[in-house]
Amino acid sequence: MSRVRLQGLTRRFGSVTAVDDVWLDVADGELLVLLGPSGCGKSTLLRMIAGLLPPTAGRVLLDDTDVTTVPPQRRDVAMVFQSYALYPHLSVAGNIGFPLRARRRSRADIRRKVTEVAGALDLSALLDRKPRELSGGQRQRVALGRALVRDPGAFLMDEPLSNLDARLRATTRAEIAELHRALGATIVYVTHDQVEAMTMATRVAVLDQGRVEQAGTPAEVYDEPASVFVATFLGAPAMNIVPATVVATDGGLTVRATDLDLPLGIDATTPGRDVLLGVRPEHLTLTGEPGIRAVVTAVENLGGDEVAHCRAGTHTLAVRGPRPLRLAAGDRVGLTARPEHLHLFDPGTGGRLVWRTADIATPERNFA
Amino acid sequence: MTTDTRLRRITGHVVLTVLSIACAFPIYWLYATSLRAPGDVHSLTILPWPLSTANYAAAFANNDVARMLANTAIVALLSAAGQLLVGLLAAYAFAAWTFPLRRTLYLMFVGTWLVPFQATMLPNYVLLARLGLLETLAGVIIPNLCSALGVLLLREHLAGFPKELLDAARMDGRSSWNILWTVVVPVIRPALAALGILLVITAWNEYFWPAMVLQRGNAVVQLGLRSFMGTEGNDWGPLMATAGLACLPVFVLYLVLQRHIVQAFVRSGLK
Ligand SMILES: Nc1ncnc2c1ncn2[C@@H]1O[C@H](COP(=O)(O)OP(=O)(O)OP(=O)(O)O)[C@@H](O)[C@H]1O
Ligand SMILES: [Mg+2]
Repeated sequence: MSRVRLQGLTRRFGSVTAVDDVWLDVADGELLVLLGPSGCGKSTLLRMIAGLLPPTAGRVLLDDTDVTTVPPQRRDVAMVFQSYALYPHLSVAGNIGFPLRARRRSRADIRRKVTEVAGALDLSALLDRKPRELSGGQRQRVALGRALVRDPGAFLMDEPLSNLDARLRATTRAEIAELHRALGATIVYVTHDQVEAMTMATRVAVLDQGRVEQAGTPAEVYDEPASVFVATFLGAPAMNIVPATVVATDGGLTVRATDLDLPLGIDATTPGRDVLLGVRPEHLTLTGEPGIRAVVTAVENLGGDEVAHCRAGTHTLAVRGPRPLRLAAGDRVGLTARPEHLHLFDPGTGGRLVWRTADIATPERNFA
Repeated sequence: MTTDTRLRRITGHVVLTVLSIACAFPIYWLYATSLRAPGDVHSLTILPWPLSTANYAAAFANNDVARMLANTAIVALLSAAGQLLVGLLAAYAFAAWTFPLRRTLYLMFVGTWLVPFQATMLPNYVLLARLGLLETLAGVIIPNLCSALGVLLLREHLAGFPKELLDAARMDGRSSWNILWTVVVPVIRPALAALGILLVITAWNEYFWPAMVLQRGNAVVQLGLRSFMGTEGNDWGPLMATAGLACLPVFVLYLVLQRHIVQAFVRSGLK
């Protein structure tokens, strides 16, 4: 298995910059998920790692070799496509064995390897079928088998689960995670599904408009989002973002907006500073002595949980909690959140703000 | 059903019936005449009776019909094969690769389709004369080895070819040339077959160009027909028999591969 390094990778299509100066280091055996909305450049980035698309600038390194100009067939990486891209004229066995035939391995060798991979993926009974005679999940496994059979240095997967129904997606997700553990494989996995990212990844890189907004473990990107974009992209419903001001009060620093007054738990003074306050719906709790005074506008049932949509001042806030919340539209509620669950962002750049030290007068941008 | 739509349906069927009779009758008459006894050739009875194969015997005796049929088959198959190969290679390049001047080159390729045959026939003829290929089958075939139609149809077809399949094959270790033969050709085989049939039929029916190149001999069957037309009148019986034989392969091909052919014509019309 290989380490994959991307150094300043950039790709422009005419005036569109699809991938913008991406630096990533995928360690040997890591499952890195590239997460981002549609059109943010995930596929473009993956195709550059595969060698299917030449970068406008930057380098791709496999282990210590610069492969930026090496054609795909001579890079030691395998790819699983979103459409599966199975060869319609070949049987399952033919599809799985295709990369080995291209490498002119002996027939016996190919048969042995195909049988082995098919066994591992539960495809043994289907070896003689054509792709059109398979279900979506089976096709997906054949596509996986075709990548596995090569023993590549790294796997690239472009939304491999997006054509499956919800239940199959959950089981296949677990299968791929298990495969990753069993093989110790290096995997770069593209998805726009945050659940896939959170559950499978050893590290997540969140992309927006071709740039890496944040790279870190799933817990890091969820608990300490580096920007408003990352904060609102992860989590359902999305993190509440409210324009507010940080002011000094007798009880320390407080973040304020209309009908909203939450202590930050920092004993310091500061001139007023405009910020964007972020708080996740599940971190807002109902309370008698409110930091936020709100009116419920609607309640959604998610099964195990309920989401109450509230209005505080001119803003709407989502509150998520175990069902039943015992709320109805029109109710007046008080809400609060613990200081460690309050995120502050710069209104101009959208970057995360942290206190460098307790006595610095203004919140500082965290450049880390 | 209202009487109005009913009437419209009936009218439609009547029109179609009349049209198909108008199309089919000459062909029927061709075979009917060829099967009449030599004395009855000018008979106007709808059913030829008594049946006779004398005209076919005369055709074979008078002329080397078998050799002409074989020559025609060679010309048709080789030009179709050439057009198919050139079309495939060009269409693959245009569809799967990006290179400078791709659009321009493609338009030039297809533009040759707009140049009328009459404009190229004399230069081609002179060139063949210089090369000493007049009066040879090679002379008939070589100028027809490439057809813009083939390039156009295959390129349109390949434009819809899933690009991820090509990418997958590249990832799996195939060179571009290998991908063409191990992935592209097997997948588009139905389209290739349909186009191949279309090209064979077109080449088979070609009359004018063989007539120019092969002025002395009667090396293809369409020209052989001429030998039955004389100044003292036409030898209708053997003429019809030869014409019937000349049509036969096309009919057989059509009957056997009807679905493919209709598809080919529909494709060429719609896409
Ligand atoms: N061949 C191309 N020519 C021009 N623009 C392109 C090309 N390929 C991608 N783009 C543009 O680059 C941007 C990123 O595309 P990309 O396919 O990488 O997005 P993505 O993140 O994979 O989206 P999705 O989740 O929808 O697959 C888009 O704005 C797209 O329009
Ligand atoms: Mg994509």
